[in-house]
Amino acid sequence: MDERSAVTMSKDFSVHVEHVTRVEGHGNIILDVKNGKIEKLQWNVVEAPRFFEAMLRGQHYNELRPITSRICGICSIGHSLASLKATEDALEVKITNQTAILRRLAIHAENMQSHILHIGYLVAPDLFGASSVFSMLEKHTDTVLKIVKLHRLANEMSDLICGRTIHPIRLIVGGFSLQPTEKQLIQLKKRLLEAQELTNELAPIILSVADNLPSFTRETEYIALTSDEEYSLYDGDIASTDTGKHPSYRDYKEIMQEYIVPHSTAKYAKHARDSYMVGALARFNINSCQLQPVAQDIASLFKLKAINSNPFMNTIAQLVEFSHSTQDSIYLIDTLVDQGIKQEKPVKPMKKAGRGVGIVEVPRGILVHDYTLNSQGYCTKANCIIPTNQNHANIQKDMEKLVPEIINRPEKEIELTLEMLVRAYDPCISCSTHYLDVSFK
Amino acid sequence: MIPVSLVLPIISTFPSNNFFCCMKKKIGVIGLGNPLRRDDGIGLVLLKYLQENKKKLSKTIEFIDGGTSGMNLLHLLGNYDIVLILDAVDFKGTPGEIKKFTVEQIKNQKIQFFLSTHEPDILTVFSLLKELDKAPTQLLIFGVQPKDISYRIGLSKEVHQVLPILQKKILKEIQSITES
Repeated sequence: MDERSAVTMSKDFSVHVEHVTRVEGHGNIILDVKNGKIEKLQWNVVEAPRFFEAMLRGQHYNELRPITSRICGICSIGHSLASLKATEDALEVKITNQTAILRRLAIHAENMQSHILHIGYLVAPDLFGASSVFSMLEKHTDTVLKIVKLHRLANEMSDLICGRTIHPIRLIVGGFSLQPTEKQLIQLKKRLLEAQELTNELAPIILSVADNLPSFTRETEYIALTSDEEYSLYDGDIASTDTGKHPSYRDYKEIMQEYIVPHSTAKYAKHARDSYMVGALARFNINSCQLQPVAQDIASLFKLKAINSNPFMNTIAQLVEFSHSTQDSIYLIDTLVDQGIKQEKPVKPMKKAGRGVGIVEVPRGILVHDYTLNSQGYCTKANCIIPTNQNHANIQKDMEKLVPEIINRPEKEIELTLEMLVRAYDPCISCSTHYLDVSFK
Repeated sequence: MIPVSLVLPIISTFPSNNFFCCMKKKIGVIGLGNPLRRDDGIGLVLLKYLQENKKKLSKTIEFIDGGTSGMNLLHLLGNYDIVLILDAVDFKGTPGEIKKFTVEQIKNQKIQFFLSTHEPDILTVFSLLKELDKAPTQLLIFGVQPKDISYRIGLSKEVHQVLPILQKKILKEIQSITES
């Protein structure tokens, strides 16, 4: 028995973190240690059950997108796009090239909004040793102002493309209700160039405190969309680092195998192993070679290489993706301007009924909407698999490896490290749509 | 929805309409809430009514559906000199009861994230804006006491019954504030 183990054996303590702060929802961390032995260790999701899928049943297909855009205030564009893709898949709506480009801009806007929110307002306080962004303001005013500026730009981009900062209104079945003008897009491009400069200034600042990210690794399976054409966010095939590309997006349940655990009201998910991870790090691990060069530079700055198995690096992968989104958006705007932006009418459905599946990458990972529509265009069946539920099991497995590695540290440090782990996943527990449907006697 | 701990003591008298001294300012009326959670969406229902009756209101007003914006409200709020928030607020009143209050009138205000479904809440966002010197000059909250915020579309019977009264009251209040 080494010295560290001897200390461990004499240790009795509990870490109970209720409603982890700076996370988009409510989750509890429970750790009980007696005589140095872990008696209980749970990532416990306690959000009340939700009934969004039931709300979708009986709704006309034109209502599905507006309803699902209200599931989450952070991923409302992603839910809208997954919803539209599912509806259009069911009704055989072939969107135009212009719509596909504008939707890619929309998804970049959301990725940028959410990532900078997470990096700047939620994780940066951990890295700078501050209790919140408020206390960061005193000593790191310039850094906070950079974050605020980048956040504002992402919001403005969402306003322009989607008609609102969140809960978009211009995204409709078959296209857009209103397209931005060429002048507006050129203006946006200028702002994106400014954002690139700011991102390049922010990256070394984050790097200077990146040593505060725990050096923890655990090999796991990563799942994300992938495509030969691009760094996948809007479209692609489901891929796993363990099993490669999956042949059919409609059979997503073969990959996302949901199951029940007694200590959580949310469903968990697994595939080739006991758990898998989705989100920015998963996308990076599968598709990093397709990142724009400016984003590859930031990855190099942090020595982030695929496959990286440190979940705390998810935040760095988000910073890399933020940079990618700025550059890729500039490329998409140039394409739109070159081909001439038109005020197009939405494409009409070819079919009246059917089943459709829409899959997109949202900031926290792969999101699935699956609808069945009847001959009158009403939804008879709906299934939504959200990223956070797919990550719950991986958070639990990470904790099970992490705690024995840090058990000799002061309790407060253990508590903070576990909180940082949960925050690294950027879980949006409040948008977990796939809860259990139970009845009682 | 803003939790009850933040709105104590219950404001017995509405702030005077002299609260807004310089009226040629940019005014934003922001509805907050989630229409998928019954009465939590009352702010958006009232906002829609005001939009439908905007001819009866000052042209300087902009109407914003803030939904569950959370921190994304930061830049929305910063765009206006005066912000009027419409939201569900649990102040242990009678369902459908409406209260008007300022941030300063809220007791036990804590700088805390994720107190409500609009995580983080409007008060945290307002505090951060103040720190950044970007806060609107005035912020006034119209809170409606919900009965039911479970996951379902549509207001509760109790709040729905008083909706016409709430709509008239809020229209009159905003007319009075912005035209005085």
